[in-house]
Amino acid sequence: MFSAMIKKEFLLVLRDKQALMALFIMPAVFILIMSVAMKDIFSQKALSFDVALVDQDKSEITNTLVNDIKKDKAFHIVKKDDAKFVITFPKGYGDIENTTTPKKAQISVQGSVKSDMIEIFKAKLMNHIVKMKLSVIKEKLSEFSDEAANAVGSVTLATKELFALKYNKQEKVPNATQQSVPTWIVFGMFFIIIPMSTIFINERKQHTLSRLSSMNVSAFSMILSKIVPYIFIAQIQMWVMVAVGMFLVPYFDTPALEINGSIAALVFLSFSLSISAIGVSTLIAVNATSSEQATTIGGILNILFGAIGGVMVPKFFMPEMMQKLANISPMSWGLDGFLDIFLQGGDILSVMNESLALLCFGGVALIVSMILLRKRIEEGL
Amino acid sequence: MIKVCNVVKRYGELKALDGLSLEIKKGSIFGLLGVNGAGKSTLLSILNGLSRFDSGEIEVFGLDIKKDTKKIKEISSIIPQNLAFYEKLTVKENLEFFAKIQHATQENYDKAVEINALKKILDQRASTLSGGQKRRLNIAIGLLNDPEVIYFDEPTVGIDPKSRNEILDSIKEYKKLGITVVYTSHYMNEVEKICDDVGIISHGKLIEQGELKQLFSSKNSTLEKHFLELTESENV
Repeated sequence: MFSAMIKKEFLLVLRDKQALMALFIMPAVFILIMSVAMKDIFSQKALSFDVALVDQDKSEITNTLVNDIKKDKAFHIVKKDDAKFVITFPKGYGDIENTTTPKKAQISVQGSVKSDMIEIFKAKLMNHIVKMKLSVIKEKLSEFSDEAANAVGSVTLATKELFALKYNKQEKVPNATQQSVPTWIVFGMFFIIIPMSTIFINERKQHTLSRLSSMNVSAFSMILSKIVPYIFIAQIQMWVMVAVGMFLVPYFDTPALEINGSIAALVFLSFSLSISAIGVSTLIAVNATSSEQATTIGGILNILFGAIGGVMVPKFFMPEMMQKLANISPMSWGLDGFLDIFLQGGDILSVMNESLALLCFGGVALIVSMILLRKRIEEGL
Repeated sequence: MIKVCNVVKRYGELKALDGLSLEIKKGSIFGLLGVNGAGKSTLLSILNGLSRFDSGEIEVFGLDIKKDTKKIKEISSIIPQNLAFYEKLTVKENLEFFAKIQHATQENYDKAVEINALKKILDQRASTLSGGQKRRLNIAIGLLNDPEVIYFDEPTVGIDPKSRNEILDSIKEYKKLGITVVYTSHYMNEVEKICDDVGIISHGKLIEQGELKQLFSSKNSTLEKHFLELTESENV
């Protein structure tokens, strides 16, 4: 009996084109778009500014400064039209004797550049200007005292020699693909609500559930027979999304997804996540009066879970208060678990907390759904 | 024999069945008549073990409905007014699914297909069937468990006269197989055509029961006239 119910559920989902679109095409397209769109934001490459240099002074000093800047990897020299920063050394800039009205370097910045980037740019440029000025002072001092000149010459602006930087925790930051794939696996899995509620509410409205009940099929069997196929569907969904991240995304000049953690952990976490998504979907399907109502409520709930849980905006971009709030969303638990596996090389133990939370959440939702369905069957649905 | 004795069923303040009592003979076709909201569907649902009732007693072929619900469900079948099957599955997939649910034998499966003339359309998706074919599939599913009693809840609603006659003929076949049929319909000519006995209910109470011929033959009337007289006098 049970195998027949599972087979029926599979056939109904596989013949529902809209459901397949929502479960497989939608998240796959999102992974592709978001990975490509955000590859620069999540890039771990060294910071580089597109800069154009204009030397109107043509003095020895500006010539040295321009060459020095060109050697710095932080500055990517481009044509004036393509530059985000244009540095102009005006005529007389190299006249160091002029201390009353010294000329300033002019920097013009493209309007879209963020203020924090401008600050970093200013600090980088300042480094070169100070270095140049120290070199001039050293030259002047050498005429009077070699000792003083050497003291100035020994001043270093290299950050490595000025301070030691150490991370408290060895945590990796995801690239665009590592962020997009888990995000849309989690979000896509919760879209199980569409086929589940449509099939379930049709069964209720057409009195098929009553008919099954009249054939001694219990509420427990009805719900259990729905859980099993959707667990398989969720697994297929997860692996399709992983495949998109590993094999399709690189075609768009975007880093491929790498699974650094254990496959068993991935299966266990996605199983727990699917139980959670199935639990919420069943609860909505049992209570909704129409499939339109179920998909609307399900859609709103998914978006809320997603917005709070770090699907729309990654959690590490959120302020601390929002990061704490994110922990109420099951999508956040799933997302943290996937990032643990993809990024930190996590195993089953490292995703145990997230998985257990998801299993408990889904389990409670399923038990409540069974109780409500049983009550509804007794009342004649 | 199916015995219903003083059954009360309430939905909140509303008494859907108000001390209803009736008897249905084994192997007969029993017509259950009543206006909309009279309590027919509620009674069928209770007789099939789907809904509970507040008080009274019901016995189906010697089985107590409260104690032997599971067994009663095994020997009963309800053909709901709605087309209670899966439109996205083929006729065969639907029949196989419901057959497996009820552990039906191949013999029962073949019989349900044959009686309802479904052999030629087995591979067709249920959504593509005509109204009459859908009704026949709905009925065939109800035959899979080889029931001793079948409850038909207005099975001919919205179908053409030809399909209706085919369904009525198939119901007569069930009687030949020894199956008890409880049949509700708004079409009096259907009831006159196939039923042996009739019960008329109004406001959750039985207002008349007896053999079809005896009920109105002496009054030189039709079942429809008799039904209207009875239900109108009840409403007054």
